[in-house]
Amino acid sequence: MKTPLAWLNLVHEKTRLLVAIAGVAFAVILVFMNLGFLGSLAKAASMIYSQLNAEVYLVSPQTLEISTTKAFPIERLYQAAGIAGVERVMPLYTGYLQWRNPETRTNRSIFVYGINPNDPVFVSPEIQSPENQAALRRPDTALIDRLSRPEFGPQTTGTVTEVDRRQLTIGGQYTLGGGFAADGTLIMSDQNFRRFFDPFPLRLISLGLVKLQPGADVEQVAAELRRTLPEDVLVLTRPQIIQRERDYWIGTTSTGFIFGMGVIVSCIVGVVIVYQILYTDISDHMKQYATLKAMGYRSQFLFWTVVQEAVILAVLGYIPGFAISLGLYELTLRATNGGLPIGMELGRAVHVLLLTIGMCSLSALVSVRKVIVADPAEVF
Amino acid sequence: MSQSMSQSMSQSMSQSMSQLVGSTTLETNSDPNAYAVQIRGLNYYFGQGDLRKQVLFDIDLDLLKGQIVIMTGPSGSGKTTLLTLIGALRTVREGSLKVLGQEIVGLSRAELVNVRRNIGFIFQAHNLFDSLTAAQNVEMAVELLDEWGDKRQKAIEMLSQLGLADRVDYKPSALSGGQKQRVAIARALVNQPALILADEPTAALDKKSGREVVTLMQQLAKQEGRTILMVTHDNRILDVADRIITLVDGRLETDDNLENFVNTHDPKSLDRRMFMM
Repeated sequence: MKTPLAWLNLVHEKTRLLVAIAGVAFAVILVFMNLGFLGSLAKAASMIYSQLNAEVYLVSPQTLEISTTKAFPIERLYQAAGIAGVERVMPLYTGYLQWRNPETRTNRSIFVYGINPNDPVFVSPEIQSPENQAALRRPDTALIDRLSRPEFGPQTTGTVTEVDRRQLTIGGQYTLGGGFAADGTLIMSDQNFRRFFDPFPLRLISLGLVKLQPGADVEQVAAELRRTLPEDVLVLTRPQIIQRERDYWIGTTSTGFIFGMGVIVSCIVGVVIVYQILYTDISDHMKQYATLKAMGYRSQFLFWTVVQEAVILAVLGYIPGFAISLGLYELTLRATNGGLPIGMELGRAVHVLLLTIGMCSLSALVSVRKVIVADPAEVF
Repeated sequence: MSQSMSQSMSQSMSQSMSQLVGSTTLETNSDPNAYAVQIRGLNYYFGQGDLRKQVLFDIDLDLLKGQIVIMTGPSGSGKTTLLTLIGALRTVREGSLKVLGQEIVGLSRAELVNVRRNIGFIFQAHNLFDSLTAAQNVEMAVELLDEWGDKRQKAIEMLSQLGLADRVDYKPSALSGGQKQRVAIARALVNQPALILADEPTAALDKKSGREVVTLMQQLAKQEGRTILMVTHDNRILDVADRIITLVDGRLETDDNLENFVNTHDPKSLDRRMFMM
């Protein structure tokens, strides 16, 4: 076996190795956190749709994402109900209200879903429970999301507070999560929605949900809907509307740019740290490397030795970086009450590992020049 | 322009030189295979353009195989430069320089590397990797031959010949100065190079270790018929030489065997010259 020169050089200086590993781990953690936020953004965008009981969605072409909708006529929904394969159509009304915390009396924006209480709009069986169903039918009453931020105040049933200058009673709770767009959510009946958003006409809806009969071909029905309905509504299947929301959050808002920039900056930090370590190592071993050249080793050998050192640093730094990132993800998940669905994904883990190796190799390429030009005649 | 000037300059100098060197050449041999190194009309310059400075002037030198040659002379006389040229560590442009039968003038860098693999280098500093054990440092040289199987065995054998059998797994930080230099010698000799170039191998050592190191080199050279060219200021070790050459200001001044050298160099005048270096 070849003498593992790169490995032995690295482990010889224990302190320097630890600093290098800490530096790489730091960069890895920064990258993981940025990608984690970016990933949770995409996941949060899709989360609400997995909670909605429909396969095909009708939206206005001017709708950006679920909390920024442009209302369209409910007639489109009635037209959709006539297509073969459609079991049921359900309107969904959305909007923001000013919620007053009953204890601190501070106002905060809360996101509201207005539904027809007779429609099974949400998958969650909790919302269909007799108590919640009864509460939904009471005037000026709404259900509150348990995952709403604590700043919204107590969530116990019967709590009375003021929402947009109108009294509201909490009639029950459910678990949904607001994602990036909302700190907290409410569900209320369309009649109550009409009261709170006065003068909101119920014949204009934010989102049309189309539930298909069991066994119906989603693509086929969607194509038929597109053919039948005028162009003032978009017909989207669930994967399509999720993709549309992701594209909006990541591409159109600055969120994607911010986290993407975060990843780049983290990589630069990593490159600089590894470069420093490799450069010091090369400077310390200049005489030895030049001696190897005098003995008959080619520059190529020294080049690969430095690259090996870089890859070893990458892998050694990645391991603690990965472990700490898992902990930080858990911490973030708890800090947001599960509202930010941040979590490790296999693809991301592999990508960051490759990125780390690439980052360290880049440092190697920058620092290796010194050893390539090392003149063996200089050691005499 | 400057090149033609320096050429004419070196020509006029070579005339005076050839008289000097020609009279003191010890042996002549018509068989080119008998020589480890053959140098003819070698000039070497440092710098470029106006800063160009000639450091070696028309060197003619033959080193017979199996000879131990000591090269001495004042600092700045070009000894080390000549050594690095013979060691294929620098590119030669003028004259002829044959190392182990191969002309190295005009070779590319990659070809020079191949020449170097047949030469053992011993430096003033040991230049061992602190991170490798004595055996691993020597193995780095064996690996050049792409021999993996018995590399450790070879390294241990070599270190044992140099009296380091019980130190093979020590790192340089746990070895004395003399021991480190012996490891470096083991690294230079393990591939059994036909030519060994040493630059002040005893400079960093005390008298006793210096003597030990040189005696070991002498023994190994005699046993295996190796050629050694050693640059040194250390007149305590001159006695190992078959031949002593002196380089002054880039020219070969004397070329003598040990007897003549000691006789012609009065110890007092020698000492005075040592101070001037």
